[in-house]
Amino acid sequence: MPVRWRLLGWPELAAIAILALGFIIPMFTRSVLVYSVLNQIFIGAVAAQSVWIMLRMDLLSFATPAFMAIGGYTVAIAGEYDITNAFLMTAAAFILPALVAIPLGALVLRLRGTYFVLVTFVLAQIMQLVLFLTPSLTGGSNGIAGVAPVTLLGMEMDSNRQVLEFACGLAIIATLITGSLTRYFRQHFAAIEENEILAESLGLVVWRYKALGFIVSAGVAGLAGYSLVNMLLTAHPSSFDSPTAVDFIAYTIIGGRASILGPILGASALVYATNLFGTHGQYAQGLYGVLILIVVFVARGGIVGTIAALLRRRR
Amino acid sequence: MTELRVEGLAKQFGGVRVFQDIAFALPPGGLLGVIGPNGAGKTTLINVISGRQPASAGKVLLAGRDITNQPAYAVSRLGLARSFQQTNTFKSASVSENVARAVRFGGRGAPDGLEAMLAEFGLTQRLRENADKLPYGLQKMLGLVMAFASGPKVLLLDEPAAGLERAERQLIDAYVARVRAVGTSVLIVEHDMDLIRRLCPRILVLDAGVLLADGSPQDVLARPDVIAAYLGESEEAG
Repeated sequence: MPVRWRLLGWPELAAIAILALGFIIPMFTRSVLVYSVLNQIFIGAVAAQSVWIMLRMDLLSFATPAFMAIGGYTVAIAGEYDITNAFLMTAAAFILPALVAIPLGALVLRLRGTYFVLVTFVLAQIMQLVLFLTPSLTGGSNGIAGVAPVTLLGMEMDSNRQVLEFACGLAIIATLITGSLTRYFRQHFAAIEENEILAESLGLVVWRYKALGFIVSAGVAGLAGYSLVNMLLTAHPSSFDSPTAVDFIAYTIIGGRASILGPILGASALVYATNLFGTHGQYAQGLYGVLILIVVFVARGGIVGTIAALLRRRR
Repeated sequence: MTELRVEGLAKQFGGVRVFQDIAFALPPGGLLGVIGPNGAGKTTLINVISGRQPASAGKVLLAGRDITNQPAYAVSRLGLARSFQQTNTFKSASVSENVARAVRFGGRGAPDGLEAMLAEFGLTQRLRENADKLPYGLQKMLGLVMAFASGPKVLLLDEPAAGLERAERQLIDAYVARVRAVGTSVLIVEHDMDLIRRLCPRILVLDAGVLLADGSPQDVLARPDVIAAYLGESEEAG
């Protein structure tokens, strides 16, 4: 059968090209506001990819903030011991949440549908509890302030531009990881998403791919947590509160779940729109709600799906 | 030597007994029909043998290996595949992707005769079409082709002719012939008695979860208890 199994396709390459704009834009502006919005977009895009990996298997996960917290706090705690090496911390921010996801996955991946959603939401809540109840390690309700800036090849990345470029680099790494996983196992994930019973009856070891997806999704969320802590130079429980999962889910669904471009464009559009609200940022959740309703009732494919449908119609 | 052996197999949900003490053997390349009225437990029997549902008692042996209560993917990977009563494909994937997934997930490579089977059922020229765009009959045939594409030693077919037009049912004959040509054993659950008579040298009759008869179609279908349990009911219902 003429079905190719490739590592990266054009959506992944397009996604990386879009994110790489983060290296180019600072050549034209020094606006703190622009840098801040771009940082938020990169963090949101990475976190949304964590959600997207699980949605590829029709699993809606609210656990992203929990794994972000593990990645973020890993970096913050390591900083207290003067460990700030970018390569080491990137690896740690990915691997530690991924390791934690192994036993958690064994527990939650037995569940489907509503039960999976509920339990992953509870995981995020439990993580909050852990953060508050371990002040000697995490600073408790005060968090960890004054996190040391990341060092890359011996250079401290502490200017606004360097922080942005580092967030951009992390987003590209996360996209390479997510893209490689979901492209290489595209047929496996699609089969699980669409008809798990049939896939299993044909011999697909469904639990293995779900576990792999969950573990990588946790690692990618950890990178988002690293990026967030590096931007704020603070690790605080409120940064990883469970309701933030709704934002990342909104980015993914509104951006479109059919392609990796979805979470990236969704995060870009919604973070930008939220910043447009300016002082009325508290209405962002309402905006997400309205947009999700529009997507559900009018444009199931989200931004990417709608654009693709329009392009197909024009041909 | 048997490819599939079932010994004392039973299934119950809570206090409800679906079937009990089912035993039969299927030789390599053999063909066995299973008939029975609705609710006799035929589909549950396939579900239990294929690992979809756990057995309450008894054993399932595949080429001498105990596969009882193994998960469905493990049973499939050991060489036992099944088809489903309703059309069951990856609907948003192309015909080509559907078949490629079956081959890949089965892990044994494409079986001999797969290309010829696709051509015979008119699927070769529709490889790029999404499964849900195919007519019902072709969707059903695609599901059957996928079960074969996973490269099984034993194939369980759950009402393959259900929902097919009379002319399309002839395709089931061709399908079974192609599957058996590569040495695959077939167990076929079916309500179409003409098809059962045409294809099966031996049939089992299930009634209310009990094995009522086992023998050639001529002998079994002439038995008064079988007529009363199955054919009689069909005539009344029909």
